[in-house]
Amino acid sequence: MINDPLTIITLTPILVSLVLLIVPKITSSAEGLARASRAISMGVSLGMLAITTMIFLGEIGNVDWSNYNSGYYLTNDAVALIPSIGVHWKVGADALSFPMIWLTTLLIPISMLVEWDAKKGYLFHPLILMMEGALIGVFVSLDMFVFYAFWELTLVPMFFLIMIWGGEDRKYASMKFFIYTFTASVIMLIGILVMYLYTPDVASSGSITGHSFDMSVMISSTEFIPSEGLRHLVWILLLIGFATKMPSVPVHTWLPDAHVQAPTAGSMLLAGVMLKMGAYGFLRIAVAAFPESTVAFIPLLIFLGMASLVYGAWVCMGQTNLKRMVAYSSVSHMGLIFLGIATMQPLGIAGALFMMFAHGIISPLLFAVAGAFKHHYHTLEIGSMRGIAHHSPWLSAHMMLGWMASLGLPLLAGFVAEVTILIAFWMSFGWLVLLPTLTLIITAVYYLTSMQRTIFESNDPHQGILPDTLHGEEPRDITWHENAGMIILGALTILFGILPFIFWDMMSEWSSGFLLETLVQAMQSEGVKP
Amino acid sequence: MGENKSELGLLVYILPFLAVTPALFAMGWESYEASILIVAVPFMTFPVILIVGQLYNGEEFWKNKMKEGGILALGALGASLSAALWLVYDYVDALPNFDEQQSVTQWLEWVSFDLLQSDYTLTSGSKILGMGVWIDSITLMILFVATFLCFLICWFSLGYMNTDPINEDRNHRFYGEFVLFALGMFGMVLADNFLWLFIFWEVMGLCSYLLIGFYYWKDSAAYASKKAFLTTRVGDVFLMIGLFILYDIYGSLEFSVIFHDPSLNGTVDSGKLFWALLMMFIGAVGKSAQFPLHVWLPDAMEGPTPVSALIHAATMVNAGLYLVARMVPFVDVGHHGVSGLEDLGLIIAYIGGITAFMAAAIAFVQNDIKKVLAYSTMSQLAYIFTGLGSALWFYNNDEHHAAVVVFGSSMFHLFNHAMAKGMLFMASGSVIHEVHHAHDHLHHENGNGNGHDFDPQDMRNMGGLASKMPVTATAMMFGSMSIIGIPLIGGFWSKEGIIAETWLAALEHEPLMYGPAILVLLTAGMTGFYMSRMWFMTFAGEPKSEVVEHIHEETQWIKMPLVVLTAITAFGGFAFALLGATDYLSSAYDYSGHLKLHKSTLLESILYKLEYAFLPEKINLRIVGWVTIFLSFIVGPVLAARIHGGKLADGESSTPFVSWLVSASSKFGKQDVSSLAESDLSVALQNRLYFDDLYEGVLARTVIPFSQFTAWFDRNVIDGLVKQIETKSVSGSVQVRGLTTGSARDYILMATVGMLSIITLLWGMNS
Repeated sequence: MINDPLTIITLTPILVSLVLLIVPKITSSAEGLARASRAISMGVSLGMLAITTMIFLGEIGNVDWSNYNSGYYLTNDAVALIPSIGVHWKVGADALSFPMIWLTTLLIPISMLVEWDAKKGYLFHPLILMMEGALIGVFVSLDMFVFYAFWELTLVPMFFLIMIWGGEDRKYASMKFFIYTFTASVIMLIGILVMYLYTPDVASSGSITGHSFDMSVMISSTEFIPSEGLRHLVWILLLIGFATKMPSVPVHTWLPDAHVQAPTAGSMLLAGVMLKMGAYGFLRIAVAAFPESTVAFIPLLIFLGMASLVYGAWVCMGQTNLKRMVAYSSVSHMGLIFLGIATMQPLGIAGALFMMFAHGIISPLLFAVAGAFKHHYHTLEIGSMRGIAHHSPWLSAHMMLGWMASLGLPLLAGFVAEVTILIAFWMSFGWLVLLPTLTLIITAVYYLTSMQRTIFESNDPHQGILPDTLHGEEPRDITWHENAGMIILGALTILFGILPFIFWDMMSEWSSGFLLETLVQAMQSEGVKP
Repeated sequence: MGENKSELGLLVYILPFLAVTPALFAMGWESYEASILIVAVPFMTFPVILIVGQLYNGEEFWKNKMKEGGILALGALGASLSAALWLVYDYVDALPNFDEQQSVTQWLEWVSFDLLQSDYTLTSGSKILGMGVWIDSITLMILFVATFLCFLICWFSLGYMNTDPINEDRNHRFYGEFVLFALGMFGMVLADNFLWLFIFWEVMGLCSYLLIGFYYWKDSAAYASKKAFLTTRVGDVFLMIGLFILYDIYGSLEFSVIFHDPSLNGTVDSGKLFWALLMMFIGAVGKSAQFPLHVWLPDAMEGPTPVSALIHAATMVNAGLYLVARMVPFVDVGHHGVSGLEDLGLIIAYIGGITAFMAAAIAFVQNDIKKVLAYSTMSQLAYIFTGLGSALWFYNNDEHHAAVVVFGSSMFHLFNHAMAKGMLFMASGSVIHEVHHAHDHLHHENGNGNGHDFDPQDMRNMGGLASKMPVTATAMMFGSMSIIGIPLIGGFWSKEGIIAETWLAALEHEPLMYGPAILVLLTAGMTGFYMSRMWFMTFAGEPKSEVVEHIHEETQWIKMPLVVLTAITAFGGFAFALLGATDYLSSAYDYSGHLKLHKSTLLESILYKLEYAFLPEKINLRIVGWVTIFLSFIVGPVLAARIHGGKLADGESSTPFVSWLVSASSKFGKQDVSSLAESDLSVALQNRLYFDDLYEGVLARTVIPFSQFTAWFDRNVIDGLVKQIETKSVSGSVQVRGLTTGSARDYILMATVGMLSIITLLWGMNS
């Protein structure tokens, strides 16, 4: 039906958003324009969601995702962009990227919905739309140059979202966010360029440099990198870039600041999709290109994963700011992804993939809840209010569901990832599993305590203890659009907890194939037993 | 109270629910296929109750016709009950064997995956962690207990919850969570593998959190719910680890795979399996509130009384017992079990013995009627754990006969205890409810409305209720008798077996078993005391407060469950004992069980059973049995009567049996124990032996400061380093700042130009 759907869903949002951003400078009637602008943004994003959903159902592109084998689907004929250095427009999706693409197209309209009444709507919603194009671009591009361009492009709308709609400290937070992650990306870029320089000569195809940015070529030609030391070094450079994005301890400190200052929609996208770019890139590029280095550095992966998970959970417990706590919980959960990959079992890798997806629907719910607290009670301080459940029953219900999902309650999406990763982890590392498993108790402690100190215990059945920041205002429940967004996220959390196979099956197939094709040989040569 | 029109007409609304099972039967479904309804109907009902209740809060139809969701909940539970009864009817005499179990449909294929084997190839064919249904005698029994009691408790709640003004417009939350809770238990019992057992187990954990915290605005309730969730979570996490080990050993968590040959032809390492089972047992300890994870259960009384009945009788606490009962195939050396796991049985028996004794001792000094029952639950569950521990020990030593008796007795005790305790909690709810109403009524008339210092649960405000609440008094009497183990009533038939066989293990085989054996024997006498004390304090003697005068037993919906359960408690134990319940329940793993009389005629069977119970062949057992009866039937109740017994006020009377018991209680003289009540031991018991203080003190001094330290560390050391770098380079950044024009196009341009220049640079270096 549509010839090249991935290109369409990548470029349409960017083009539309650019138009929407430029038009206001020409016309002057702000009010009507803001409404038209957000309606168009929402319409386009819903259109993208429809396309990806139809791709999933096989209506577009004729892909039978339930029988996923391996390789890329929905690829296009490569279009030369900068032929002199070997840059092409080449896209494709597989079971690693497709759930992320679908997740992106899902979260964009939801985050728009949650902040439907944002100030300066003529800028806000188009920026989110631009974000969509950039994020999808990261997941679909099969050219390393384009991948990197999109990778950096995601920073731009996010930077402005924090800068313009952020909290009191937004300048510091947005600069820190930009510089921190940009620095890490540049380190990663050095790694990418070293890989580029060792690609086989393709001067005949018009590349002056004689090299190509084609991702599969770059990945398969790492064997031409002469020394093992250099290969390890490149792997480390890539890891720094990806781990900062995820983020992993010790390069995580940009995240809490960015989250606390970011507007709700920004936080939702940041936690929901942007963090997953790190894990995605790590698997897609670092692991795929350097399986030997990955296997050799398994202890490092375990260390980073454990540090993020355990340390992150403890830091969470020491927080007094609701949003900061939720932000650190993301750090903690992302640690599980490294642990899943380190197991070198299809089960563990599939669990890591599912973690990316599950966290992608749970953490936006958490941030939507935190944002609603900020919006309606003007504070995020845990303990500055009590018994809010009486005034905001819907908000409290969503908080309960989100918090429970995040602490890994069965029948909710997060548990699927947690239990599969930990089963695989026991098989590979035995009693070391005690550390991540016992951390689950810590997770429960901070989540439950934060609920107890906000929505419960006012000692009065008919009213809560309101925060000072409300200044005598009548407390309200969340608005209809916030509620709608949270209901969708909550329903999906339950849906994917009970029926995880909707995406799990293809993830599992991908993991098995990836392990067999890429990692098994490295494991044998490095002497790592499964 | 106002008008008192019968509300039974509302039951017409539950008929559509009850029609589901017969409809499926008419459509030719098999009962095991329909068993999905037991979980599915509640699953579809609970969100409806919650959401509709939130949207139509306070509307006439919802409030008075739907009882704020209560009728829907009752209907859903009724549908589950009917499907469960169908299942019981079909399978009670024809249990399927392992191979048939495997062919039963998989409900849900949850996740499927491959594993990398040690020869670097993938397992052939995907592994699946899915959900199916498993049926044996234990499943049937616990499923019946759960569905039946949930239905009755929901019925009771219609009277208890909806007439209390504090619950007005909140009851939809109660009923929604109630149904979800019930669903968790049903699913856990039906699941055919350990993973889904765990999943539903956690659903119950969530619901206990929600329901204990039903009065969320109360500090104590919010605290208690958190404590319950976290304490059980500690156990659950270990249970998870146990499951990981188990999966590693067997490559599956399905009963049909594991139980087929738990020793895998003798290749299973008993050390590894021991750890798996021990970890799982820690989970059971948490869920069933055993020492040392028992601290949450008494606090759980913060929830409304029907919730207590639900947690203590129908659902949650039985989950731990069920899990341990599922460990039998691992240790049954007669049937492919793994030898060398006796220690597991010993540990379980010791935990049980210690908890039984400790909880009974604490129950001595409680004045809150629900707290007494809470500790009694803990103590009785501990009995069952002791029994299961000795059963596992016997199974592992190939003492098949003794193992079967004690295992069956333990499971049978679960049944008896659940029925009695469900009723006791509802009866105590009835008492509390009426005392509360009478108090409100009284103070409304007198005009001095301050009733905050009055505790309707405190037995020191009661006394002499026997004549005011004859139905409740009778119910509670039979319930207490069943818990005490008065000969011929309910719990007697199961408790004897547990105590006798634990002594048998100690006397004839393993001296270490003396510990739990002595503890459970002493506890039998203590049970006699604290249960009698509770009953006498509440129902006998003269009223201890003016409130009692105004009590009437008149709330709708409350009596029916009490009457039904009284009948079951009074006669059910004997009846099932005659039908060979112990043999039947212990036959779960060889599928030979049938519920039938031992002898050809009823009379012969009764005589045989009585002889078996009172005059067993072995002289040791005969002595143990009679000592138990003496302690629990004579010593405990008489002591309680001397302290708390007494005649009713003049002119008051109750049902015949109750009147007789009350007047008998006044005949043993009077003893004053006020000096004893102030002793150190008594104070320690009132403070629950300081376990809660100990845990809280340790956590407050370690976990919280440590978390604050890490937060400080993160902000000042890790992020501090980043800030250092930032300040150092601030001079450089002044020039850079000029470039931050704030336009998206400029940034893209800069990024592209920067990247191109780096490429050119590197390329130049390379060539």
